[in-house]
Amino acid sequence: MTEELHYRFPPAAAYRLNRCLFALKSDDGFRARFLKDAAAALREHALSDEDAAAIARGDRDGLLARGAHPYLVFMADLRLRMEREPVAFEFF
Amino acid sequence: MLVGAFACPHTPQLLARPGTEDRDLVLRVHAAFARVKRRLEACRADAIAIVAGDHVEAFFLDAVPALAVYVGTECAGTFGRYRYRFPIHEPLARSIVEAGIERGFDLFYTQQAPLDYAFYVPLHFTMPEPAVPIVPLHVNVYLPPQPTPRRCYEWGKALGEILRARPERVVLMASGGMSHFPGTDRYSSPEFDYDRRLLDALAAGEGRQLAAVTGEELDKMGNIELRTWATLLGAVGDVKADVYCYEPSWHHGNAVVEWPV
Repeated sequence: MTEELHYRFPPAAAYRLNRCLFALKSDDGFRARFLKDAAAALREHALSDEDAAAIARGDRDGLLARGAHPYLVFMADLRLRMEREPVAFEFF
Repeated sequence: MLVGAFACPHTPQLLARPGTEDRDLVLRVHAAFARVKRRLEACRADAIAIVAGDHVEAFFLDAVPALAVYVGTECAGTFGRYRYRFPIHEPLARSIVEAGIERGFDLFYTQQAPLDYAFYVPLHFTMPEPAVPIVPLHVNVYLPPQPTPRRCYEWGKALGEILRARPERVVLMASGGMSHFPGTDRYSSPEFDYDRRLLDALAAGEGRQLAAVTGEELDKMGNIELRTWATLLGAVGDVKADVYCYEPSWHHGNAVVEWPV
């Protein structure tokens, strides 16, 4: 029996969700808008209410269940933390 | 000609150094990077051909190349406060695309795409002085279905022949690995024993072993990025690896390795 892979084919239904996570990870302007007003920024991506709520909550398990790519969830979160807590980096 | 071959990790914590990391471990990896840098200077490299897996930075789901070559005049990217830019060795990049396609590899190329930190982190630490241009070579590791390790190895074999036939002194570098599971429940429990067994095999000159593993096995072992190593191993063949360091952190097996060419 094939075990479940850690990194699976991203379902096409989750394209917008992954697009939004990609923007949080890689688009400095979008990340800044998200940190200023998350709800307004999320509207730019025309997500479903459930997807938008999962991103706003930073609900990793919920995002994965909705088809988000694990790496995008991980790095979007890390990049947000690097912005929110810059003093936690360049620690040594 | 091919004058050197190295594998380096690109673990972002080696660069960003958050308080979550073991300082001494990070500094030991930095010391291994410094050895690579001195070797690159001793090799008198004209260019670094660096094989890395784009982390959904240059290529999103709009277009997912299995194998790609950057053939612009330069490439640039950002990671946090880091802003980086490298000249591309355009004649070498172009010859890799042309000769690769001639040999039956349907390569994707780009003249303008953001450069992922997977390329930047090893170059940040190992770029020789004076600096040399690069050729970024992408292998899809994060967006399934990825190329098989066998296909990466075969591409590496062709790449090695192409580089050896060139007039420039080229260093081949594989970025990535070893075991880690970003974004999954396994993040804090990588497969370090798998890494150590593989390093033993590579030190014994059995690089072809990596061509025989399945993509499923790489996924299971947190080693999807070893497709970049498989590419390098195709180029260098079954020669004995010199493992500079293997430093398992709480989330990542960091290995720095050189192969004779």
